[in-house]
Amino acid sequence: MSEGIGASVQRKEDKKFLTGKGRYTDDINRAGQVYAHFVRSDIAHANIKSINTKVAAEASGVVAVYTGEDIDVGGPICGWVVPNRDGSATHEPPHPLLAKGKVRFVGDAVAVVIAESLQEAKSASELVEVDYDELPAVVNLETASSGAEIHEGMAENRYFDWELGDEEATDNALNSASRVVKLTVRNNRLVPNPMEPRSALAEYDELNDSYTLYTTSQSPHLTRLVLAAFMFQIPESKIRVVAPDVGGGFGAKIYVYVEEAVCTWASKKIKRPIKWTADRTQAFLTDAHGRDHINNIQLALDSNNKITGLRVDTLANLGGYLSAFAVAVPTYLHGTLLSGLYDIPAIYTNVKGYATTTTPVDAYRGAGRPEATYLLERVMDQAAREVGMDQAEFRRLNFIPKDAFPYQTAVALQYDIGDYEPALDKAMEMIDYKNFENRRSEASKRGKYRGIGVSSYIEACGIAPSAVAGALGGRVGGWESASVRVDPTGTITVTTGAHSHGQGHATTFAQIVTERLGVPNSSVELVHGDSDRSPFGMGTYGSRSLAVGGVAISKAIDKIVEKSKKIAAHLMEASADDVEFKDGKFTVAGTDKETAFGDVALAAYVPHNYPLETLEPGLEETAFYDPMNFTYPAGTHIAEVEVDPATGVVEIVDWAACDDFGNLINPMIVEGQVHGGIAQGIGQALLENAHYDENGQLLTASYMDYCMPRADDLPSFKVGYTNTPCTHNDLGVKGCGEAGAIASPPALINAIINALSPLGVTDMSMPATPQKVWKAIQDSQSVAAE
Amino acid sequence: MEIKDSYELPLSKERVWAALNDEEFLKNSIPWCEKLERRSETELAAEVKLKIGPMSTRFTGSITLSDIDPPNGYTITGSGKGGIAGAASGSAKVKLVEDKDTSSTILSYEVSAQVKGKIAQLGSRLIQSTAKKLSKNFFGSFVKQLEDMDKP
Amino acid sequence: MYSTKYMKPNSTSEALDAINSLGEGKFLAGGMTLIPTLKQRLANPDGLVDISGCDLDSIADEGETIKIGAMSRHVSVAESAVVKKAIPALAKLAEGIGDRQVRNRGTLGGSVANNDPSACYPSAVLALKANVHTNSRSIAADDFFTGMFETALEEDEIIESISFLKPTKANYVKFPNPASRYAMVGVFVAQFGDEVRVAVTGAGEGGVFRHQEMESVLSSNFSADSLSSVNIVSDGLISDLHASAEYRANLIKEMTKRAVV
Repeated sequence: MSEGIGASVQRKEDKKFLTGKGRYTDDINRAGQVYAHFVRSDIAHANIKSINTKVAAEASGVVAVYTGEDIDVGGPICGWVVPNRDGSATHEPPHPLLAKGKVRFVGDAVAVVIAESLQEAKSASELVEVDYDELPAVVNLETASSGAEIHEGMAENRYFDWELGDEEATDNALNSASRVVKLTVRNNRLVPNPMEPRSALAEYDELNDSYTLYTTSQSPHLTRLVLAAFMFQIPESKIRVVAPDVGGGFGAKIYVYVEEAVCTWASKKIKRPIKWTADRTQAFLTDAHGRDHINNIQLALDSNNKITGLRVDTLANLGGYLSAFAVAVPTYLHGTLLSGLYDIPAIYTNVKGYATTTTPVDAYRGAGRPEATYLLERVMDQAAREVGMDQAEFRRLNFIPKDAFPYQTAVALQYDIGDYEPALDKAMEMIDYKNFENRRSEASKRGKYRGIGVSSYIEACGIAPSAVAGALGGRVGGWESASVRVDPTGTITVTTGAHSHGQGHATTFAQIVTERLGVPNSSVELVHGDSDRSPFGMGTYGSRSLAVGGVAISKAIDKIVEKSKKIAAHLMEASADDVEFKDGKFTVAGTDKETAFGDVALAAYVPHNYPLETLEPGLEETAFYDPMNFTYPAGTHIAEVEVDPATGVVEIVDWAACDDFGNLINPMIVEGQVHGGIAQGIGQALLENAHYDENGQLLTASYMDYCMPRADDLPSFKVGYTNTPCTHNDLGVKGCGEAGAIASPPALINAIINALSPLGVTDMSMPATPQKVWKAIQDSQSVAAE
Repeated sequence: MEIKDSYELPLSKERVWAALNDEEFLKNSIPWCEKLERRSETELAAEVKLKIGPMSTRFTGSITLSDIDPPNGYTITGSGKGGIAGAASGSAKVKLVEDKDTSSTILSYEVSAQVKGKIAQLGSRLIQSTAKKLSKNFFGSFVKQLEDMDKP
Repeated sequence: MYSTKYMKPNSTSEALDAINSLGEGKFLAGGMTLIPTLKQRLANPDGLVDISGCDLDSIADEGETIKIGAMSRHVSVAESAVVKKAIPALAKLAEGIGDRQVRNRGTLGGSVANNDPSACYPSAVLALKANVHTNSRSIAADDFFTGMFETALEEDEIIESISFLKPTKANYVKFPNPASRYAMVGVFVAQFGDEVRVAVTGAGEGGVFRHQEMESVLSSNFSADSLSSVNIVSDGLISDLHASAEYRANLIKEMTKRAVV
């Protein structure tokens, strides 16, 4: 069927977005609404001596002013903790909704001013006087442990000190290696920058003693759960969370932030709806940032250039407070991926998570897996150079062979299936790898350095098998829910706990229904993003919507089909066992009896002729699906660049991506996800960097200085696929949302190093800005001259 | 960010030192200074209206003198809050060295500056140039006043 | 932004009356810098005098010069047949400013009066020996730019138009800041017979400046190769997150080479 699984159906949701008709949180207005504006610290680290709100409270239009002392509910919580090496627990310092006694990053909310208009709220907030006693900022990750104490009683500013793997075996491998390749890399800090900034509109219903919060969330049910059960300690049923159209998230909209919670809390205090929408500066300062690791890597090789061991010691900068999944990102989403797609017998990793007086850091597209892939693919490249092997062939030599699946890694995960060589071969063919040296010499005649870089990656998606997540410190389940309602006329309403904020769920999920029930795509409506309208769900992150949420829909459809067969059997006076269902029609084996799906639907709701004694009327089913394992998308990206030595500008001249996402539901949407992911990875590798000065001021807090990738920074991508369907879910799908952002940064950096390797350049940090590349060329020339 | 410069003045060290401690001199030297009041031997309250391009913000704060070593130099620190714009501070280590042969004095300075809040977040490209310009303006007008006074 | 009074006069003389009626008023041209500044509350003028109704947007060939009204939008300059024919480099410069939205709003006069050290237009004004015509006088380009964000303009002076001298040959090449796309270094090279002018923007701490050494080298031999021996000193060049003074010095030479064709 042309609208079913595997068809590049155009996105149903695009018309409203492309014509400006999306309905976002800030588009919603409620009668009597007032506006919140937050007074924020412009100092990174200070004790608050006093806050004077008196003048502000009396200013024009002001309804209320609150500080941390007024708040009587809890703040954001940690959704994942890990044990320390010494057996103690992750340090979880309190994170008050408004600062109490101390501020810990520039942008930390100190007070909220609520007024009749936003302008009045802003003007009055300028009248709030905060007297600070400034403390030394802690900015540098490498020296954070000796910096000023950020959280009371938290030694060395360390949230946790975690390990995974067999240290003894790994150190033995390193000690007996014929070569140990060493490398230190830094994963630069990124600002997520969804197009729509965060927003909240909170309303309190006095009659019902309940709240409604419209907000920019990737996971409205989790927002409700956290607000009700952990922060406000009220019955969960007393909060409704609606996440309407949401303009991108990239991870930053998973968490419950203080602003949304303060608005909700205050809406009861003043008994009026309260709106808050971040401006771009607030988004830069307060959306949880991404990445910011330093990794010390040691890779052991035997005399045949086979990897025998890997040790990675990581420092992770988690910022001034511990955000919800901040602990999971550098540990279980990072340490467990260190085997990559290589057969590595011994792996050990130690990760220390530090507090600094900077914006909290949490999951950002890829979350942990880009960091693992980056360090691994950088050291693989370094190793290939050191042993004098071709970068692709060195990887091939160390790939997990295809007959080794299921493959148990040395770092806890078991890969169900994969076949890595075909993707490498295909990517090499797509970019014409074998003729690269000709292109390099041709470029050299034009005065350009041309380079090619390979990145073979794997990721764990479909987050997450609940039992595994729970055993590893996760405090939530990893399942997803779906309910499929067949209307009397045969149209379908699918309700999902997943949340679409750009992914195209309305289209992809409809294709699953079309494929399975034979109804046209236009007959399928998707409901999501409202905790009152859909079964409890976990939301969208970690490339999980299809691999978990999509499979839940498929499971609900199974139940629909099963019940429909019984109804059809009754209508056709046959045994349910003999009824077959295909292309929207029920038939009885060996007869010419048939009945349409629509007739069965009608019979379910108009049960005049219906087996009421054995079957309930109606046709609506709900399924919850908890995956047995992660899914493991993998593949190879190859980047080709030209460097202009006069300016240091890196031009990406070609890009080949070959990914194994298992079965594809909508190849066009998948390709879009790949493009977007690569664009973000290129952003990280070439352009983006959150730069703090030594006082903890974010100097790149606007688009004047923070460089987002633009269309003209990007080449035309060549996108291809291989397919080893996932073995443990009904759709054979793996997830594709993060792959591009995971695979691309090392491909690009490796390509730049490859381009400059004739000059003796062996290292390049992200982002590889023109100035940095130019300087590397200058330095290599001055070394050569000496 | 370090900014350094020096001036040669055809005056004695004592004369320059006296001017460095004269609030009228200081007031006329501080760019866009609208108010300067002495609070103590070492502290003055200041109000400055800073204009950079279309930005125009009033900073209120203080000028403090430290590391006082008469007549060889001191550290002069200005710090102010600009409300919504954030805060800025600049500190100049000033040294006076007299050349006995020419009976002139070399005034040298070394400035370090810090900004906080919106001006750091939005204007990082201009911080160094602005700090340099303000330092130049300050010491330039200070020196000019001395030179003008010295003219018959 | 703070609330402020908005006035839209129909002539420059009315605009002057309007600005004088205010304590601390601001002229509003395209608003590409002023409006974001107001939105950030980094300025609090008691009134805005919008000069877009003052009929200052004509573009005319006046023989020796091309005269462009101060309120001409960048897009108008970029697409003007008159400009493209007489000074294609100026049209190219205008076409490279900001993005489409900025080019539809931003104006020549606004850019020149603001004299942002990273703006493109000041380099053209300086290299093309322009005359800046205000409501009260004409100011030669060499006297107009006095420092970072500073010009010879008085508080109540309006640029009405700018006359650019037609060069024998000219070119503008910029190296954009990757984030903002403002000029990190922009070089406008103009040749008038034997004379060559090289104006550099984006790089000087005091704003746009002429590079005399390159001018004299190019005057005797107008070729990119002749610049190889020139040493660009980094003193006085902007140093920021994106580019050190040394890197900017390198870019000045490189962009000038690329502009000399």
